[in-house]
Amino acid sequence: MLYTISGLKQMYGDWTVLDIPRLSIDEGDIYALLGPNGAGKTTLLNILGFLSRPSIGTIRFRSRDVHFSEPALQAFRREVVMVDQTPILFTSTVYRNVEFGLKVRRIPAAERQRMIADALDLVGMNRFAHAMGHHLSGGETQRVALARALVVEPRVLLCDEPTASVDAEHQATVMAILKRINREKRISIIFTTHDRLQAVSLGKQMIYLNQGRLASNGLENVFPATLTPVSRGQLECTVQGAIRLTLPATASHRDEKRGRILIDPARLSLKERAHPKPAANRFSGRVVQLSEEKGHIRMVVDVGIGLHLLLKPATYRKNPPLVGDRVDVSIPPDAVRFI
Amino acid sequence: MDLLIDSFLSAILLIVSLDREMLSVVGVSLTVSTSSTLIAGMIGIPVGIGIAFKSFAGKRLVITVLNTLLALPTVVIGLMVYAFISRRGVLGMLDLLYTQKAMVIGQVILIVPVVATLTIAAVSRIDDRYRKTAMTLGANARQTALVIVREARFGIMAAVIAAFGRVIAEVGISMMLGGNARGFTRTMTTAMALEYDKGQFTLAVALGIILMSLSFGMNLLFHFFQGRARS
Repeated sequence: MLYTISGLKQMYGDWTVLDIPRLSIDEGDIYALLGPNGAGKTTLLNILGFLSRPSIGTIRFRSRDVHFSEPALQAFRREVVMVDQTPILFTSTVYRNVEFGLKVRRIPAAERQRMIADALDLVGMNRFAHAMGHHLSGGETQRVALARALVVEPRVLLCDEPTASVDAEHQATVMAILKRINREKRISIIFTTHDRLQAVSLGKQMIYLNQGRLASNGLENVFPATLTPVSRGQLECTVQGAIRLTLPATASHRDEKRGRILIDPARLSLKERAHPKPAANRFSGRVVQLSEEKGHIRMVVDVGIGLHLLLKPATYRKNPPLVGDRVDVSIPPDAVRFI
Repeated sequence: MDLLIDSFLSAILLIVSLDREMLSVVGVSLTVSTSSTLIAGMIGIPVGIGIAFKSFAGKRLVITVLNTLLALPTVVIGLMVYAFISRRGVLGMLDLLYTQKAMVIGQVILIVPVVATLTIAAVSRIDDRYRKTAMTLGANARQTALVIVREARFGIMAAVIAAFGRVIAEVGISMMLGGNARGFTRTMTTAMALEYDKGQFTLAVALGIILMSLSFGMNLLFHFFQGRARS
């Protein structure tokens, strides 16, 4: 086991930004850390990178207890390297930047030279070796930062939104590099993203975070909503001001309540198009995205809000809509959860 | 008007002829100011870096005190140091009064706050990602501090140059602790004051031109380093 986390909490004053009772991370895999902004992804990554100390909790790294004292942490840091969302290069050449980690490890000069050439070659930046770091573009900076991290041959590479600051062309390059180093060098990779497609295409394992806590799914279909009691036993749920759902009332919903709802994508279904007016909790919309995801079909339908559906392939094949087609989506009341 | 033009032309001639007395005065000024700047740099830079890096109780108070010391009048420093090094002072037996060493002591007290506060500002401006990057790449605390200092180097250089500019142009300390002894403790500013008292302006104007040129050069360097620090 690479990491074993128990009772981990990160608090700033009274504010708990991270609360993870238990989490295990295997060695050699690529983990996608998914969650909305403010979910605690970067906070967790900083703790996994031994760059910040949790308020409470224990971490075991490769069967060793981590003691969060500065001299002890340095030994752990030499096995784990983190690449920032917007990496910064030292005010020096690309070569010197990549050399930094090797120099602090006292690697001999001749060996350093070979390792730097290999690392820059891996990210396709060899011809920039003598360019000044701050003259590079965002994509080039990201690749140099990757080379600088990889040259020290870490066991774990932590990437905070590795493609957030690069254009589409360089995103593919960065993703390909990450896949390759995991496959060829067996480096464990943990990366944060809020792009589901990226998480699915790169990550072999998923960790979902929401408001600092582990969540059971990807937290797609989370929308701001207002619940209003309309009659005895019934609630009207206005989702993002765009669609209205009718839901059974519970004892706790006597007054109007604002908050967020989660609509389980696996419980949504496609229906025959209704004419002229759809029934309750059925919404007409246009298919805007289709993808394959771990044996399921993910479909995004724009019904005024972007609804994600996770369909079984057999269900989808019965009447497969294409991107751009209009479909009706049924949202059963038990697929909706107030969070 | 004629006096000014005549003095200016005579001063130019004096500079071009490399007058020995003028060179002696400039030499004393540069020696004392360079020594005090180097010593103040050795004290002020580590102090500034330490304050910028460390979190401790009373940090704001320390920075406020340093900022207040920036406005300390040179005559106050002169008086304080005099009280210590005069014959009746606790350091009287060292016989420092009216020596270049005394001037250096006073000037160091004057500019340590300048170097320290500008160093704090330079180091604090450095993006925190440098620290995080150095740490994640395996650097220890000392190596991480060196990375930050390296990134702040232009700002720190600007701090040292600003300090040199402050001491080369001061009069109070040099006059009170140096005594304006010809060939020993006479600096450009004290010599100018003396020549003015004598009503002889040629040497005073010549030294003024040299001082202004030095200040201009220092300012050019200061802005160059500040510009590099900001970019």
